[in-house]
Amino acid sequence: MNKSSELWRPVVLGTFLLFMVIPVIATLAFSVSTRWDRSIWPEGYTLQWWQEVTSRGAFILTLKNSFVASFMTMFCLLVLVTPTAYWMKLRVPQAKPAIEFITTFSFGVPGVVLALALIRFYSKVPLPIINQPAILIVACMVLSLPFMYRPVVNALDAIDFRVLTEAGQSLGANGWSILTEVIVPNIMPGIISGCLLVFSTVFSEFTLTNLLVGTRFKTFPLYLVEFTRFDGRQASALAVISFVVAWVTSLLIIWVTSKGGRETTHAVGR
Amino acid sequence: MPFFLFGLAFELLPILTVVQSSLTKKGILTFEFYRQAMDPLFLRSFANSIKLSATTAALGVVFGTLVAYAIITTKNKFLQNALVALSDVTTNFGGAPLAFAFIVILGSTGVITLLLKEVSINLYPEFRIYSISGLTIAYLYFQLPLMILLIIPSLHGLKREWKEAALNLGASNFRYWVEIALPILFPALMSGFLLLFANSFGAYATAWTLTGSDVDLITIRIAALIRGEVQLAPELADALSMISLLIMSACVAGYLRLSNLSRVTQR
Repeated sequence: MNKSSELWRPVVLGTFLLFMVIPVIATLAFSVSTRWDRSIWPEGYTLQWWQEVTSRGAFILTLKNSFVASFMTMFCLLVLVTPTAYWMKLRVPQAKPAIEFITTFSFGVPGVVLALALIRFYSKVPLPIINQPAILIVACMVLSLPFMYRPVVNALDAIDFRVLTEAGQSLGANGWSILTEVIVPNIMPGIISGCLLVFSTVFSEFTLTNLLVGTRFKTFPLYLVEFTRFDGRQASALAVISFVVAWVTSLLIIWVTSKGGRETTHAVGR
Repeated sequence: MPFFLFGLAFELLPILTVVQSSLTKKGILTFEFYRQAMDPLFLRSFANSIKLSATTAALGVVFGTLVAYAIITTKNKFLQNALVALSDVTTNFGGAPLAFAFIVILGSTGVITLLLKEVSINLYPEFRIYSISGLTIAYLYFQLPLMILLIIPSLHGLKREWKEAALNLGASNFRYWVEIALPILFPALMSGFLLLFANSFGAYATAWTLTGSDVDLITIRIAALIRGEVQLAPELADALSMISLLIMSACVAGYLRLSNLSRVTQR
């Protein structure tokens, strides 16, 4: 091949890189500049916006709410999905289609439709979760179910869970302790990457939070959107924090999965 | 067992409530709300959503495949891994922070806007980031990396011998792509298109942060009905939701079908 036909690759990759990186860099620069709406380069640099935005009580509160929602969702999904996946693999493979249908459900349902359906249904039944953080948690569980399910099932596929189970049984362990003491430690990489995927999905969740609980349980993305409406500098600082959280979680996932050597799934739908 | 209860309580029953409510009026079966949903007002929202999704999906497929091909043919292993990692990270972006980042660079006083003004290209007022065309650019930010991740395995499935055989038989590079590579990739490209379409069709956060309720997309309309900004029969929101649900789940079902198919042909 001659040189000119090789030139397209750096051009394509360079453009792609610029497109992906510029928005992040620009947001970071914007959050530390005194003024940047008249000139090509920022007129000066300051940490004022960062100080202002992080010193508010609402900042800590929304950050805390987001962490609480993420960890609650993560924990509930873990307890729900791991035993189900193990039991399905071990005893009832015929339940697989039904389980996969439930897990891939959120791919086919727009977030606004899920929110509407939950509101409609739970305003009729006498279970008082409407407008409560609890309804947000279950909605987030539906949303991030596939991200927990996939890595766990893949991890189960990669180990010899039958042999492990039989070994446990012959040593007199019951089903529950086999699961928690033998199977879970062996599928740890899958569980961790599932948890991280759930975390990053829920932490940046906006649609369901906005429609289901709104200002009653304000999370970090809601706080950010509120700021985009009246103070761009402080909003940019918040956006940078969101980017950092997302980057760190994703890099951790890549690191965990490359160590465990197992494939994972990707977040889709927002 | 708890798992099925969960699915029943938080997925199936709520959705069935909406189905039922969209189809009945005082207990009698009716298509009235679907007829109302076919109002030109809502048809326009559907058309906008479909147009936006089709555009970003098509652009995502074309450029995503191009970038993915550039990535896998790069000899530098480090660069290759870094770019795949970058796609991995950025495809999970979206929503508020992403929307805001695009306001920073392409808003009326954004960096790129000012930069282009320097060379006497005025983006505004013809272009607005707070519009459908602005949304197209913002959506590409997560569509592109998603397509890259989806198509890389299929591109790896293209055997080098096929290309060599074609070139040895006198085919041009162009002919190899049009007559051999693209037909082989077709199921994968198509399934990628469907997933990207669904990904953008259901999106709400990015659009809402960028435009508020200005932009006329179906998800924005449904959300406005839920929040009670617009006073209309709740059953109408149900009917609109059901139509969106059908469109989106048809895409996802198609995606699942085709991606199984392309996995088979790769073997």
